Amino acid sequence: MTAILGIKGLTIDIARDTGPVRVVDGIDLTVMAGESLGIVGESGCGKSLTMLSLVGLLPNRIRATGGKAMFGGRDLLTLSPAELRKVRGSEIGFIFQDPMTSLNPVIRVGDQIAEALIWQKGMSRSAARTRAVELLDLVGIPAPAERANAWPHELSGGMRQRVMIAIGLAGQPKLLIADEPTTALDVTIQAQIVDLVRDLKDRFKMSVVWITHDLALIAGLADRIAVLYAGTVVEDAPIAAIFDRPTHPYTRALLASLPKLAGEAMTRLPSIAGTPPEPGRRPPGCPFAPRCAQARPSCDQAVPKLAPVPGGDPRHRVACPVALEGVAA
Amino acid sequence: MTAVTDTDDRPTNLWHDAWRRLRRNRLAVAGLVIIAALVFVAAFGPWLSPHDFLSQNLDLRNHPPSASHWLGTDDLGRDVLSRLIYGARTAFLVAMGVTLVAVLIGLILGAIAGFYGGPFDRFVMWFTDITMSVPQLLLVVVINASLKQPISLWMEARYMETLSPIYRNTQIIDFVLVFGSMALITWPPYARLVRAQVLSVRNRPFVTAARALGLTNRLILTRYVLPNAMGPLIVAVSAGLGTAMVLESAFSFLGVGVTPPTPSWGNMISDGLRVWTNYPHLLAAPAAVLAIATVAFNFLGDGLNDALNPKGQK
Repeated sequence: MTAILGIKGLTIDIARDTGPVRVVDGIDLTVMAGESLGIVGESGCGKSLTMLSLVGLLPNRIRATGGKAMFGGRDLLTLSPAELRKVRGSEIGFIFQDPMTSLNPVIRVGDQIAEALIWQKGMSRSAARTRAVELLDLVGIPAPAERANAWPHELSGGMRQRVMIAIGLAGQPKLLIADEPTTALDVTIQAQIVDLVRDLKDRFKMSVVWITHDLALIAGLADRIAVLYAGTVVEDAPIAAIFDRPTHPYTRALLASLPKLAGEAMTRLPSIAGTPPEPGRRPPGCPFAPRCAQARPSCDQAVPKLAPVPGGDPRHRVACPVALEGVAA
Repeated sequence: MTAVTDTDDRPTNLWHDAWRRLRRNRLAVAGLVIIAALVFVAAFGPWLSPHDFLSQNLDLRNHPPSASHWLGTDDLGRDVLSRLIYGARTAFLVAMGVTLVAVLIGLILGAIAGFYGGPFDRFVMWFTDITMSVPQLLLVVVINASLKQPISLWMEARYMETLSPIYRNTQIIDFVLVFGSMALITWPPYARLVRAQVLSVRNRPFVTAARALGLTNRLILTRYVLPNAMGPLIVAVSAGLGTAMVLESAFSFLGVGVTPPTPSWGNMISDGLRVWTNYPHLLAAPAAVLAIATVAFNFLGDGLNDALNPKGQK
């Protein structure tokens, strides 16, 4: 398998009046061709910013300041705005969080899909309309020819998210980035959307990056999971290893706080004490140390690096020397 | 539901709903009907007016309303109704011309400033503030006093040289010069409004989604941002038309607008005011028409405001 996206040492800063504040602090991530990668982490840990930085969609005053993001033989961070515009949609597709507000309310859904095709691929209007109906069919919208003439507000949330997926797929991107696409949907619809994306991934031979804070949801979709905390990757492992041998204390705490259906009667759901450090006020050492039950004085000395877990899957890497010692012992 | 509809018929749903709400508002409908009637009269004035608005009948001066002159005659024996009808032409031509130019300037500057931001935005806002500080009446008086006469003289000279009738038409000077200058100072509110709307729409998620699709900025601005920023502008345009109409009358009333004998409601009111104790119809007729037109535009503007901002309703 070859890597289609290789992020190395990515840093992202917010320009504040008092000086730059680092929100993403040296992220390393690789996405293989045909792989689906789940990125998990709390709000504000830099998941979305990392992905937006790839295609130059960072908000004002937020900037990628270091590192590399290799994609298709080029470093995305060095491309000009015009080159990035060509990457967007046709090479890297996006699905956003809120389907209620991510569609233009004054354009019929069929036309919104067609728009992408006309401007990216130079298709004729009629060909684009035909393709739009095909795409609507592909994402499981019943009576696609009729729905193409619907206005966004005439569709339910799940339907709209399917339309968003159709738009994301219109350019046949090699990489689809789904930024919490199910957060705004009902639980039953969430599962449908996950299944849909998994099917489409195989059909279109894409890689998928799925950003979420819902570990349970992603279990059915991802091949590999990267756990982010305070702007760094703390654990990066194949899906089975994450659930069977969670190693980083943060990953373990996240899993412990998931509700379980089977087993002992439900007591109070455990939560992780404290809050993530604010950007700019991060401890000098391990960012999780202040909330970590196993923290030692040495944890405050240096930021731990990702290292393979001895005796496990070679792709399973953890940024916690303490936990790795425990595994080795 | 039809299988395929033409993609370019877009009275969008927003407009559809707004139209429905507007129709339920009686005052707004009344305003719309009055405005439509005035527009009809203005458009077909030459065929509707019973007399020539210029022809004088010195035997029939200051005549009260009668069967042949429904609204009487003025101090030169000209038919008041015909002059009112031609005054409507003046009023609408000026209102639409001034508003169209002002809205175009405001729309283009406001949209680009709001969408792209940066130094151009700062420059536009600075320019807007400066323009807003120019007193409108004073500017029109200054233009009248300084530019109008030399241009009239120049046109007369050209006429002598070429004998081309365009140089005889003094209305061109009025409309282009005076009301052109009005347009050039009434655009700032439109620019500010459009900029504010664009600023709020450009951060909505569907604009980010459009960017993520790799659409060009121009396309995002024209297809995604502006159509969603139009509502308040439409309300402002409706109110602006009424304001421009009153402004035209006010300038003509003061003698710095349309030059007599071209009829304007404003200069008719001005003429009527001098003799109103003896011939009240000469003041009442144009004043009533101006009042009705203004009220109609205000009703329509209010109605549009309610129709396009459903959240503001109880």
